[in-house]
Amino acid sequence: MDRFAKYLLTALICIVALGQFVQVITRYVLEIPVMGLEETMLYPTLWLYILGAVNASRENSHIRANVLEIFLSTRLQHIVLAILGEIISLIVGFWLLYWAWDFTRYSWRVWKESPTLYIPTFYSDVALVVGLALMMAYTAMHLWRHIRSLGGAEDAA
Amino acid sequence: ANLKMSHVRPQDATIDVELRAFADTVAQATGGDVTIEIFPASALGDYTTVQERISVGAIDMATQPAATGADRQMQISSFPYLAGNWDQARAVYGPGGVVRDTMAELYAKQDITMLAAYPVYFGGISLNVDNPNPGSTDPNGIKVRVPGIKSFQLTAQALGYIPSPIPFSEAFTAVQTGVVDGVIGSGAEGYYASFRDVTKTYIPANTHFEVWYMIASNESLAGLDDDDKAALMAAAEEFEATRWTVAEADQAKNEQKLADLGATIAPLTDEQLAAMAAKVRAEVWPEVLKDVGEEWGQAILDKVASAE
Amino acid sequence: MIEVALIAIAVLVLFLTLGVPLPYCFGGALMVMYYLGDTIMKGNMLWGFQQLGNPVLLAIPLFVLAGTIMSESGIAASLLRFVNAFIGHVRGGLGVVAAVSCAIIGAISGSGLTGIAAIGPLLIPEMEKRGYPREYATALIANSSILGLLIPPSVTMIVYGWVTDTSILACFLATLGPGLLIMVNFSLMNLWMSRKFDLVLDEKPALGDLASEVAKRGFNATPALLMPVIILGGIYGGIMTPTEAAAVAVIYAVPVGFLIYKGLKWENFLSAGKEAATAVGAIMLMILFSMILSQMFVMESIPQKLVGSIFEITDNKVILLILINILLFLVGMVVNDVTAIILIAPLLLPLMNAIGVSPVQFAAIMGVNTAMGGVTPPYASILYLGARIGKVKVTKVIPPAMVLIVTGYVPVVFLTSLWPDLSLYLPRLFGY
Ligand code: NA
Ligand code: NA
Repeated sequence: MDRFAKYLLTALICIVALGQFVQVITRYVLEIPVMGLEETMLYPTLWLYILGAVNASRENSHIRANVLEIFLSTRLQHIVLAILGEIISLIVGFWLLYWAWDFTRYSWRVWKESPTLYIPTFYSDVALVVGLALMMAYTAMHLWRHIRSLGGAEDAA
Repeated sequence: ANLKMSHVRPQDATIDVELRAFADTVAQATGGDVTIEIFPASALGDYTTVQERISVGAIDMATQPAATGADRQMQISSFPYLAGNWDQARAVYGPGGVVRDTMAELYAKQDITMLAAYPVYFGGISLNVDNPNPGSTDPNGIKVRVPGIKSFQLTAQALGYIPSPIPFSEAFTAVQTGVVDGVIGSGAEGYYASFRDVTKTYIPANTHFEVWYMIASNESLAGLDDDDKAALMAAAEEFEATRWTVAEADQAKNEQKLADLGATIAPLTDEQLAAMAAKVRAEVWPEVLKDVGEEWGQAILDKVASAE
Repeated sequence: MIEVALIAIAVLVLFLTLGVPLPYCFGGALMVMYYLGDTIMKGNMLWGFQQLGNPVLLAIPLFVLAGTIMSESGIAASLLRFVNAFIGHVRGGLGVVAAVSCAIIGAISGSGLTGIAAIGPLLIPEMEKRGYPREYATALIANSSILGLLIPPSVTMIVYGWVTDTSILACFLATLGPGLLIMVNFSLMNLWMSRKFDLVLDEKPALGDLASEVAKRGFNATPALLMPVIILGGIYGGIMTPTEAAAVAVIYAVPVGFLIYKGLKWENFLSAGKEAATAVGAIMLMILFSMILSQMFVMESIPQKLVGSIFEITDNKVILLILINILLFLVGMVVNDVTAIILIAPLLLPLMNAIGVSPVQFAAIMGVNTAMGGVTPPYASILYLGARIGKVKVTKVIPPAMVLIVTGYVPVVFLTSLWPDLSLYLPRLFGY
């Protein structure tokens, strides 16, 4: 899974970088415009953002302020705090997922197209609902892991 | 009801002033039942997003260009060289005009009511460099920023420029540093608003007729009682009628404002304008017609021709 | 409505404190606005997601990736050796090397983490070997690392320019003056503090040796030194937009890292790609929801109401600026730089306009404050990364870090607020 994530994310970010690079070369060096390159790049870009966020959930490496954690000392306290954090994430996340689903249905119904090549924007719009759903799945997994480690912590405490 | 209205120009710009006057008229005509809160400078998002949010009823109103993402036929509104002068523009885009009626139908499909057309200007070309032959359509090697809309990209090319699709947010800086030498897709008013410090040459090439629409969400309108709705419609009609009487002078005023800042307004002869129009009609129209549906588009173009 | 907005912000801060991932903290604030206020969510996901499509934001992952590749590839190391050739032998010189190297790396990287990530592993052990206390070395490099956010290009200035519709190039130049001043401050502070350390110094090289060593290391560092030239020259020379420059930086750094400095291997290249994408994904999702939150605020005219209530307290420009610095300091304690800008800049910009502070100067004020937030506990991502790299306890790093912040940083923060020319001179010079 980790290898897959590495290849996928690196490929996406390189595609996006190459697209921008080509834009400079064609404009500055060759002086010929590439119609529609920019709107095409939007699709890998948005998938890059969303899958990057999914991977952060998978690795549990989302940015957290963790101010309180510094003041807690025992392992049990840390686990309880982590459980609380994951529960809040799940509640808020499912609410956001609902609205992402609402947005996806809208995007499906309207079937918008990009301005010059007429690529349906649904193909990037759907990333949001897919991404949030995967993030919820990983968050639930982390919650389950914390709950299971609760037993061990009580023994230790 | 309190309605939120978005527009794309900064506070105190001409349209901002006009819309505030419109809001006052509506408030008076409805005895304070309907108040309109103006959000200038795309504070509620750029016009494409705002149109979609109006369509779902999340924003009440806007006065802005038509966004073509949800319906490519809306490109008919900014078809290049559709009208050649103000009289023709009025016949095509004004009350009873074929493009205006067509656009009203297309908006209706998105659950949006078009309340008024707002004529803005004839489009031109703003350059941060000199163009020794502003009336020529031969390739001139000048790079211009075009909006990500096919007809503008093709028009720029047909007029001899190298189109470069740079996002609007980066456009000013790109012109200033010389990534591109100018901009196509707007007119004197738009260039004065966003590019006045980087406009050395302004070429009034009449590339397209810029018209915005005052639109309202059907859902928001349904929330008004019949009297209020009628008063709103009447105010919009009056708003449009007034605008048609001042739009041409307003365009001249904005060209003058650019000139006052030191820009050269390149003079074009009628022959040069006609040659530009002919070239664009021959090269660009067939391409864009393919996209919007040839039969559908041609029928409208025929009606335009007969109206003129 | 302003009460609901305050509750929303309170919930946001509460969730942050509990360690909830940032995107959900903003989601929580959205829920408050939705359920307690009369704002709607309909159409907001659509709006927010379209904001993410703005190409300006694409510069963020690309500058982060360029920075990661620099530290992995040996590009940063060659810069470090080059700077070291000049002043490494002077008493306290190694500390100056740290500050100056971080500044040069800052001209390539857009983030505050690259300096400590690239320089820390090399210089912290070296400084300790020469007699600097390990925690001091770590604090110094972590603090200097912030220069990545102040020497252009800078992720925070990209975001600021984007949310406030200000020229990004002007914002870049606005933080350059304060950034250089901080570099000088840290260098001087370091020379002064080094008197107390028992330092092992190189023998003073003869002038001829020095020249040949500088030439040798300079030659070796040339491909690395070209990077800032390409990036900043490309942007200000009218060849590319900042986003394109970020892409060019990546495209340039990859072959240089693989073939010239050879530090880049297939494996760490893949890791760098994944790390950049992951870091950015987390930021982007947060940007998505925070943009929706600030859109809700705009629709309810919260910024105007806020300005109104602030003016009821005072309309003295100096007092207001000092209060804003204190506010930003407190915000910087609990959230990261990009978050702080998205949250605060649109709220306070109307106030700045009202008291005659230009958006570009405000960019510098926001820039130095949010950058400082990276090293002010309790939430001090750059300092914590430094502690991990330097293998010292966080609690040990904090005291020397605080000394450097108070003496090197805080004066510049106030100067930036109260002396407009510090931030506006360069942008004006370039015609902004
Ligand atoms: Na930087
Ligand atoms: Na902090």
